[in-house]
Amino acid sequence: MTTQIMRKLPYGVGEWGRGVRLVMSLALVIVGVGLFAYSRQLIEGEIVTGMRDIGTMGGVAWGLYVAFVVYFVGVSFAGITIAALIRLLSLERLRPVARMAEVLTIISLVLAALAIIADLGQPGRGIINLLSYARPQSPFFGTFTLVISAYLFASLVYLYLDGRRDAAICAQRPGRLQRLFRLWAAGYADTTEERVRHYHTAWWLALFILPLLVIAHSTLGMVFGIHPGRPGWYSALQAPSFVVLAGVSGVGLLIVIAAVLRKTLRLGQQLDIQVFRWLGNFLWVLTAAYLYFIVIDFLVANYGGGSREAAVFKELVSGSYAWLFWLTVSSFVLCFILMFGQFATRHYSISLVVIAGVLANVAAIGKRDVIVVPSQTHGNLLPYPPGAYTPTWVELAIIIGLFALGILLYVVFTKVFPIMEIHLGRNEAIPHGEDTRKRRKDGGMRKRMFILTLMAGVVLAVIGFSLVAPLGPTAHPMYSEPRVRFAPLIFVAGIITTFLSPVVYELFPDKREKN
Amino acid sequence: MAEVARRQKQRGPGREITRRDFLKKSGAAATLATAGLVAGSCVLAAKEPGTATGVKYAMVIDLDRCFGCRACMEACKVENNTPEGVFWMYVFRFEEGQYPNVRISYMPRPCMHCDNALCVKPCPVGARYKRADGLVATDWKRCIGCRYCQVACPYSVNYFNWVEPSKRQYLDWQASGATMRRVTNGAIPPYKNPDLDGVAKPERRSIAGGSHTKGVMGKCTFCVHRLEKGLLPACVANCPVDVYHFGNINDPESEVYKLVHSRPAWRLLEELGTRPSVYYIGGAPPTSELRQVEAVGWRKS
Repeated sequence: MTTQIMRKLPYGVGEWGRGVRLVMSLALVIVGVGLFAYSRQLIEGEIVTGMRDIGTMGGVAWGLYVAFVVYFVGVSFAGITIAALIRLLSLERLRPVARMAEVLTIISLVLAALAIIADLGQPGRGIINLLSYARPQSPFFGTFTLVISAYLFASLVYLYLDGRRDAAICAQRPGRLQRLFRLWAAGYADTTEERVRHYHTAWWLALFILPLLVIAHSTLGMVFGIHPGRPGWYSALQAPSFVVLAGVSGVGLLIVIAAVLRKTLRLGQQLDIQVFRWLGNFLWVLTAAYLYFIVIDFLVANYGGGSREAAVFKELVSGSYAWLFWLTVSSFVLCFILMFGQFATRHYSISLVVIAGVLANVAAIGKRDVIVVPSQTHGNLLPYPPGAYTPTWVELAIIIGLFALGILLYVVFTKVFPIMEIHLGRNEAIPHGEDTRKRRKDGGMRKRMFILTLMAGVVLAVIGFSLVAPLGPTAHPMYSEPRVRFAPLIFVAGIITTFLSPVVYELFPDKREKN
Repeated sequence: MAEVARRQKQRGPGREITRRDFLKKSGAAATLATAGLVAGSCVLAAKEPGTATGVKYAMVIDLDRCFGCRACMEACKVENNTPEGVFWMYVFRFEEGQYPNVRISYMPRPCMHCDNALCVKPCPVGARYKRADGLVATDWKRCIGCRYCQVACPYSVNYFNWVEPSKRQYLDWQASGATMRRVTNGAIPPYKNPDLDGVAKPERRSIAGGSHTKGVMGKCTFCVHRLEKGLLPACVANCPVDVYHFGNINDPESEVYKLVHSRPAWRLLEELGTRPSVYYIGGAPPTSELRQVEAVGWRKS
């Protein structure tokens, strides 16, 4: 490996300038306010929120928290998609935003998990009971095992493996972060075989994460889609439209983040218009698909004759949610027009793409609220009076605090690790003439260990899944009781071990040869 | 990068075999495991007791008799210590038509204890479960407070503990402690029904009552703690005009069986396929023509 030591860590890593410290302390203050709000909720109970019981109390049981759980999980779409596009379709143009997207995915999933905790009435009990009693019949099982565990862990593995080369490069330079870089690199030496090996693992990992992406976002849609008692929710469109809306918000937010980093880290050269062109085109295709879903949903509900669906939609179109509904729809339309216009004229401007990205997120947040709330207040099948919901300061403070926490984590990451892949000029080319026979020699043990880990993970997951509550009708208590306590924990451990196998494959030490 | 991509195609035969081998092995393992899983589920499903035998509780509500006094609501609140604004049993008071051609009707709404319970399906931890005797129970010691059952229930019978339910349950919350002691001579607050703390057979789970702690769900239990003692649910026992009939619907000699089979009976929102254990006789299902009068609410102050 060429030992060209950088004079400075790239992309502003390790430079805690005044602006950065200002942003961080501001974010910390907002996180503090959010924590205070949460302490009120913990002490007094969820009476401090605007939520109340559905029915005689005329409230909603799910409010802002759930809307933002869905939003944050949706945003996590970006990382995996970008990674998969780069790996599977060789879209090298998007390479500069790959790590940004990965970090966005991980942080948004952490925020989603925290939002779920904020929503639970018994948060401490929630974590333990989910690990010991979770039932696969509940759509939350998918949210809990596939989204929060598998998706998050797979993204972490992907980020980790993809960052090893840069960590190795940064580790050459002495400094405070050197130890972290060394730990991250874990002996990576940037040899040809290591690169080839990483290329293969990343390809396979992307291939396996892609279906996980569809399944994870679909289960989130199923959380709403399977209830015949909630007109407005009960729709087969729910799962696919959640996947698409996840894409809209994820790509939109990635555009905004890329633009912010481009300005603050002066990445004008690396993050050129081509990156934004690709992301923007991706955005309008997804927005168009989502607008199509909205229209279909609207037509079926209003013309199809389901009086209860029509009642909910009437409330959306001209009732108390009209302002939010039309804000959402017009944001979608505007976002689409902005991006499609640029596509049609083949003339792109970064600021217009960024505006489209912001609009996409306004629309996504609005749409999440419009999905979650009205079916509870105006979708009652018995003649209860219509309900109402206004979030209180506690809910708003917690949600804003979560956003601040996300920004804080993101800023910290950009300051301890390069947010883009490091290019060392010509050194990138793989040195020729390496002995290919040597590669084959050391491969045996590594592969065996890899397969062992993979099999262990799969077997654990299968065992765990067969020990949770049996699938079936709800007509008996046995369908609500796991066959073995903590079976869901075994399942989750299995999933995590499965995704650990590529790490084993890449990190397993070579046989020491004297050279 | 192009270099790497090219190399990928030049994988040697040894490499290829390993991968194929691996795929084969894992495929076989997955097939075996799935087969085992399916077989296991079938065996367990076969062991499920048929619904035609054993006790299965059901309630029959005679709407021709109900005159909307709401004594059942009061009895339920006293028996189960439910907080203010919470009505596990609720009696709708409806009017329809225009003056002077106005008609009044009433409809009690307990938990329907559905056989295909929409609230049991999505419970992530199995706190809400269906018992073999037909009761839909809530294990308040396992409930994590996600309120999923509440959004799933089409009858809106679930009530969440938004606050710690340690205050007086059925007297004015705003009154001071001294006033309360003077008015009640120190007798009533803070009254707690000791029967609600126990566990219920046969699962030995904490399902009686529901207003034990904040952050958990509660709903009508068909007074499972009374059933265990051989008593009728509080609403049934306290109705002054015998609107309610309660018993084992699997027993052809029981009153509920005879009523359901001798008079036209209907169930609420039957079109959803929930198969409730609560039958109505007399009257008719509510329509959109009905206006609710004297609805209860939630104290905003």
